[in-house]
Amino acid sequence: MEEMITREFEILNQYGIHARPAALFVKTASRFDAEIIVEKGDNRVSGKSIMGLMTLEASKGSMLKITVEGEDGEEALAEIGALIEGKFDED
Amino acid sequence: MKPKERSGDKLSITVGEFFEKAQEALSLELVAGGDGMDNRIVEAAINRPGLALTGFYEYFAWKRIQTFGYAEHKYLSSLAVVARDERLKEFFCSKIPCVVLARNKKITAEMRKLADEFNVPVLRTKMVTKYFMNAATILMENLMAPTLKVQGTMIEFMGIGVLIEGKSGMGKSDTALSLVKKGAALVSDDITKLRVDSLSRALLASPVELTRYHMEIKGVGIIHVPSLFGVAAVRSEKVLNLIVTLCNKGDIDDSVSLDGEKLTREILGVDVRNVKIAVVPGRDIANVVEVATLDYKLKMLGHDAAKELDDRLIDVMSGGRGVYR
Repeated sequence: MEEMITREFEILNQYGIHARPAALFVKTASRFDAEIIVEKGDNRVSGKSIMGLMTLEASKGSMLKITVEGEDGEEALAEIGALIEGKFDED
Repeated sequence: MKPKERSGDKLSITVGEFFEKAQEALSLELVAGGDGMDNRIVEAAINRPGLALTGFYEYFAWKRIQTFGYAEHKYLSSLAVVARDERLKEFFCSKIPCVVLARNKKITAEMRKLADEFNVPVLRTKMVTKYFMNAATILMENLMAPTLKVQGTMIEFMGIGVLIEGKSGMGKSDTALSLVKKGAALVSDDITKLRVDSLSRALLASPVELTRYHMEIKGVGIIHVPSLFGVAAVRSEKVLNLIVTLCNKGDIDDSVSLDGEKLTREILGVDVRNVKIAVVPGRDIANVVEVATLDYKLKMLGHDAAKELDDRLIDVMSGGRGVYR
């Protein structure tokens, strides 16, 4: 079985994960084969679904738990992490 | 995929081309100077050379079609013979492309001699000057409008002009056929002529005359659309509103198109909305094109679904109730 990695991130950009950041997130996530699951509270969605990410209503300051599973999972997590920490090039 | 560029802005047309295209519509006949049919008309506007005939050449629009109306005739006949011949000679050797005599006025012997000598075609129309000027201006604007031939199938669907483009074998014609069965009208199959309308600055799409209303459906052959589906299934011209590009999966990144990412493409200086669709076995492309067309129409009504959802989400995340504004 593949190794699962989970890491938590704080959303830093002012408007949270609205459409544009969600699109960027999915664009990055879709480049990897690994399965990517994003959780906020009880909500659990695929990191490769725009509609899914938008339903998280991840505003500034909220915490996202991202779990990756697959060979390139670690790399995916690093890139997605950089995106979140880089405020999705917003603000 | 880039459209195949054939001809862009036309810099000029010959008198012969003008005569051929306008002969019927403007009831023109050639009366003299037939050797000058290759003269080039560089400007689309039509000129009344009244001032030039008085001898004023400091500013003279010699690149245009020169039209003699009632005023020019009256003025010329008011001159003494010697003066008239002199003025006419000066006029005919000023590099003008051609002369049109309105109101079916007869050509004088002197004018005929000058026309043949300087190879300036003289055309005659039965039309009254003002009607000729209006009709000829519109015709010239259209003849000299920038045109382009692109590889793509053009349809009109729910009032929207849609160009379906993509490499051969991507299913352009099949998609168009499905949409025709859903009520679309075919404008052209595979090769579409585009030109910029001089008034509205919109792109007008039309078929190539010879093959119009025919389609090639692989495995079936060539079909005649109005014979099979009725005259409502064809249309001779339509404004281009939306370009749908059919691509191979992998050629485009469609994983994340929120709203086609507001893609536009410039054709002949006009921006046209462009949607790219990945063709995957089993995907109902006609259905996707239909939705893209409907969504475009909705946007034109001022309703941007993607943007509205985004605004609502931002509102919810900043503590609002997420009501539609």
